[in-house]
Formats: sequence, C-alpha cells, structure tokens
Amino acid sequence: MSRVAWAGKLRVVTGAALALLTLGCQAEVKNMIPDDYRSWDKTTDKVLNYPIPGHENHLRIPYVNPTGEQPEIGIVGGVKSYSFPKGTIIVKEVYDSLSPDPSSPPTQLTVMVKNPDAPRSRGGWLWIVKDPATGKEIVLQNEFCFTCHANANEPHPYGDKNPNREFRDYVFFVYEEAEGNGVEY
Amino acid sequence: MARFIPLTRKVNAIIFVSLAVGLGGIIAFYSTWLRMSINDSVGANLRQQSEILYKTIENFMLPGDAPRAEGYFRDINMVNPDYTIKVYRASGRLAFQDNATLQDVNKRLGRERFPLRAQESTTVDEPVQPYFKAAVSLPPENAFFTEDEGERNFFRMYKPLINLPKCTGCHGGEHTIRGVVDIRNDISASVREQNRALLISLGSFVLIVFLLTFLLARYMRADIIRPVKLIGSVCSEVTEGRFDRRVEIRNQDEIGLLGTTVNKMVEGLHERFKLSKFVSGSTIQSLSESGKGRKETLTVFFSDVRGFTSFSENKLPEDIVGHLNRLLSMQTDIIHGQKGDVDKYVADEVVATFKGPEGALAACRAALAIQRELAGGGSAFADLQVGIGINHGEVILGMIGSDKRADYTVIGDAVNTASRFCGAARAGQTIISDSVFVLVRGKAVTEGPFRVNLKGKSQHLRVYLLKEIREEGDA
Repeated sequence: MSRVAWAGKLRVVTGAALALLTLGCQAEVKNMIPDDYRSWDKTTDKVLNYPIPGHENHLRIPYVNPTGEQPEIGIVGGVKSYSFPKGTIIVKEVYDSLSPDPSSPPTQLTVMVKNPDAPRSRGGWLWIVKDPATGKEIVLQNEFCFTCHANANEPHPYGDKNPNREFRDYVFFVYEEAEGNGVEY
Repeated sequence: MARFIPLTRKVNAIIFVSLAVGLGGIIAFYSTWLRMSINDSVGANLRQQSEILYKTIENFMLPGDAPRAEGYFRDINMVNPDYTIKVYRASGRLAFQDNATLQDVNKRLGRERFPLRAQESTTVDEPVQPYFKAAVSLPPENAFFTEDEGERNFFRMYKPLINLPKCTGCHGGEHTIRGVVDIRNDISASVREQNRALLISLGSFVLIVFLLTFLLARYMRADIIRPVKLIGSVCSEVTEGRFDRRVEIRNQDEIGLLGTTVNKMVEGLHERFKLSKFVSGSTIQSLSESGKGRKETLTVFFSDVRGFTSFSENKLPEDIVGHLNRLLSMQTDIIHGQKGDVDKYVADEVVATFKGPEGALAACRAALAIQRELAGGGSAFADLQVGIGINHGEVILGMIGSDKRADYTVIGDAVNTASRFCGAARAGQTIISDSVFVLVRGKAVTEGPFRVNLKGKSQHLRVYLLKEIREEGDA
C-alpha cells in the first residue's frame, strides 16, 4: 500500500503545483470591470442556454465594450485572423441555471480583458472571475480558461462552429457587427 | 566561588562548538539546498513530461482513439517500469476498465459508433486525496506530490483532463473535467543517491570536525595554553619565594611578549626581594608612598648589647662581626616572627617597630623571647646580653636623609623615650613604658611601676620591668 509523503506534500514539491495554482492563480485585482457593462452590446443574439464545459448547466450572456466591437481582421498564413485591440473587455454573465428567473442577477462574471503586456495574460488576455455579490475580482493564472478558449480558434461545436479554422483570438462569439454585414461568427 | 574550569577544556569546547555549528550549518544548508534543487529539478522535469504527455493524450482522445492511448500508456510502462501513466475518470474510477464511456458516447452519437470491450476489468485503484479532489474541482488544479511505497519513493502528478469544447460532441458539455491523468515517476534511485550523499556529507562533517578540533586544540595547547600555564607556574613559584625559574620564550607573538614581560617582572621582584633583606619593611612600603612624612601610632622597640665595648677589645674583628651578626640575626628572626619590622641596626643596637594595638604585646613577646634566647644561648652569642626598651606612642615616619642617601625611619619623642628606656635597662632587662603596660595589662607579668628620670625629660616617667607574658592556656 502506498503512503503519501505528507512531509513532502507540505514542503516544496506540492507547493510548486498547489501553491502556484491556489495562491498564484488567484491574484486579486480591483475595478477591472466597469459596473455599467450592461450598457455595452452583447456579442451575440443567440441565447447561450446549452451546457458547455467550464460553465456546465448555466446560462451565459456575453457583453463587449466599444473597444472590442471592431477587431482588426486580416489574413495570417492564409487564414482569416481576428485581433481584438488592447483594452477590449468581454464580460460574460453566468447565471445559476440554464433557465434562470429573469429577475435574478448573475452568480458570476467571467471576463476577458485584452492586455498582451500583462505578465499574467494568456493568449493576450487576462482571464478574470468576478463575484457580483462581493465585487471581488480575481485573475486566474492557470491554463483552465485559456485551454478551453483555445478551441475557439479551431472547429468547435458552438455558433458557426468555425469550420474554416479562423483565428478568432480565443473568442467563441466574435461581435456580430464586427464586419458590418451581420455575419454570424 | 566560581568553579575552576581549565582553559584547555573551554578552548576545546569553543572550537568544537564553533566547528560543529559552523560546518554543520553549512553542510545542513548545502544538503537541504541540494536536495531541494534535485527535487525541484526532477519535479520540473516531470511537469514538463506531463505537459508533453498531456498534449499527446489530448490528441489521442480524438474520436475512437482512446484504445490507442491505453496502449500507449502500457508501452511507456513497459519501456520504463519506473514510469507509469494512468487516467482516472472524474468520478475517481480508473478509465479504460469498462464500457461506461463507450456506451455514453455511443448513446450521444445515437449509434454504435464504438464497439464495446469484450471483457470489463474490476480493478479498483483509489486516487490519492486531497490531490485528486483538487484536480477535479473548478477551477481545476494540477496536483504534484511525493509518495512513499515501502522503500520506494515517487513523484506523482494529477493533471486534470479538460472536457474541451471540441470533445463535447462525444462527451457532452455538462461536465468540465473528463478525468485526471496520473503520471507517477519512481525517484527511489535519486532519493537513494541523495541519502547516500547526505550520509557521506554527515560522515565527512563528523570526521572534519573531530580532525579540525584535534588539530586546532593541539595548536592552541602548544602555542597558547602551554605558555600560559608555564607563565602561571613561574608566577606561582614567585609567590612561594622562588625566583630562579623563567618563562621559556618560543614564539614572537603576544604570548611571547607576555612571557618576556613576566620574566622582567620576576627579575624585578627578585631584586626587590633581595633588597628587602637590607632595608626595613617600612622602607619597602614607603616606595609606594609619596615619601612625605606621616604620623602613626606604633610600638617602638630598642635593643642594645651590654658590655659590647669590653667584649670587642680582645676579639678578632671577624669574631666580633660573627658574634654580632648571629646576635642581630637571632633578634631579627624573633622580631619578624612577631610581625615586627626591623627599622635599622645601629652598630649593636636594633631598632624595630610593631604596628597596631596588638603591636605592644608582640613587642613584649619578642623582647622576652630574645632575652630567653640569650639566657640559654651561652657560647653561641658569647654570653652577650641585651637591654631592651619598649615604648608605645605617636611617631613620625618618613624618608630621612638627603637626595643621595636616605633611610625610611621613625623619629619622634616616643622613639627617643624608647631609646632611653633601652639605655636604662640592664643586661637581661626589658623596660616597658606606662603606655605599653596599659596595652598588655592582664597579659603581662611585670614588676613596678618604677619611676625613672630620663635625660631631656622634666618629669619622672613611670616604667615597668617586663617579666613574662601569660599566654592563653596558662593557669
């Protein structure tokens, strides 16, 4: 029967993973998310009321600030590529179920803030979780959010499913007015 | 009084403790640092391997390729038995053991896309908590820990397998964590090497500490402690009146300088000691004083040989000097024995002083002892007899003389009176003054008082003839 070396776990080795992930991954920030984000446009008119990994059985409503309404679009390596400008903020409201009471507030805000210069950014974005009840904002430093969102840049099951493997800059639902043609991305 | 602790023991203890703490600290730090570095290095390597493996697994997990992943893990384990990879479901059950996942995928796809296993395994392998729980929580965390199994040691990592959006077609989107990849690396050989290095370090440390302690202690003993003890030994002999030993100077260092200084000091003391034979104690004492005169109440003792002039008429000079010196030596020894101080010799006359209130009694004892010695001495002292006068009173002590030649001596009326008493005493008689009598009354047997009329004194003085001292125990 194996025995976990508890002395070891409390020492350096485990700390390299757990401490990094629990302490390092939960760096608190302040006022990264404006209170009036609901005045922004939604990134999609679709109702995101289907289960997905990461949010599971919770309704999501994403908003994008004006900066993120016009991502730079180009061709990189023969592939259409989106690049959101620095300062883009996408706030995704997460509710307590797939069909919440319309009057109930979101239970969580998961937020992407474009800031490639930030040391804690992944893929050029800061990945933030905000608890609306307490107002506490935490930058996640592990690969969790980033890993899933990396699928936005390849074919996936959501929205238009990105069949042409466009680089969507880690955003599953690019602002639908981005090209002014109403094309759904 | 504090317990005497030999310097050797203190120095050895200091050296040993210093080396043990100093070297021990360095070795402990180095060993810990080395061990942590190795662990960190192995850990970092394992993490890197796990990332590569994870990506491999992630790519294997394309539809229908799970069996390939299972075979891949098995092959890795065959190539390196110290390295095992397993996959747990989020529930904690080992993956690839039954048809649950295949049935779920087929159900989602609405067809028998993947054939079921012919035989399911019932192997139970519980994951280690709380690491597994951390790996399947939201947000999931990589859990990295060490594990011991008998004599073997492992680094182990739980890496969550995320249910990526592209996987939801087969696995659904209701859950975030599909499972946990368990990578276990046997680091027993590394740990053994670390322990071996630690033991060698420890052994070396003990050896070095003892060797250095021995060498340093030997050096300290030879160069510091032995000379210091030798200096102490020389000083000790000086306190016992032996001045012939000197410190042997071997090294030209602080200890050598100390030895040289001590040797000079011993020589100076020896000279002073020799000088003390020729001068009175008061003279020696006066060297440390200002040289100015001072008043002091003393008992003054005068002794003078009776009939010395006639004695010396028919004697050879060497016989005269011999007899006289024996007589003076005898008196001096007795006076010193009574803690008196011979102030000076004036031809056949002895002038001595006795300090303190007890000085009067001591002077009387000395006088009686001298008289007894001469009475029983016979030919040793050529039948010479002395008359003794003792007075107690205030005298003046001071360096009397010139810059070229001076004596530290006593002067004053009390001195002159004692001299007169001595002159008045017949052979074998000891005359004491009234002031002495007052101090020895009850202890001395005397005759008198007698009245004497001394030259220079307008009034008669009352004196006593000293006969005996009643010592304690006398009836």
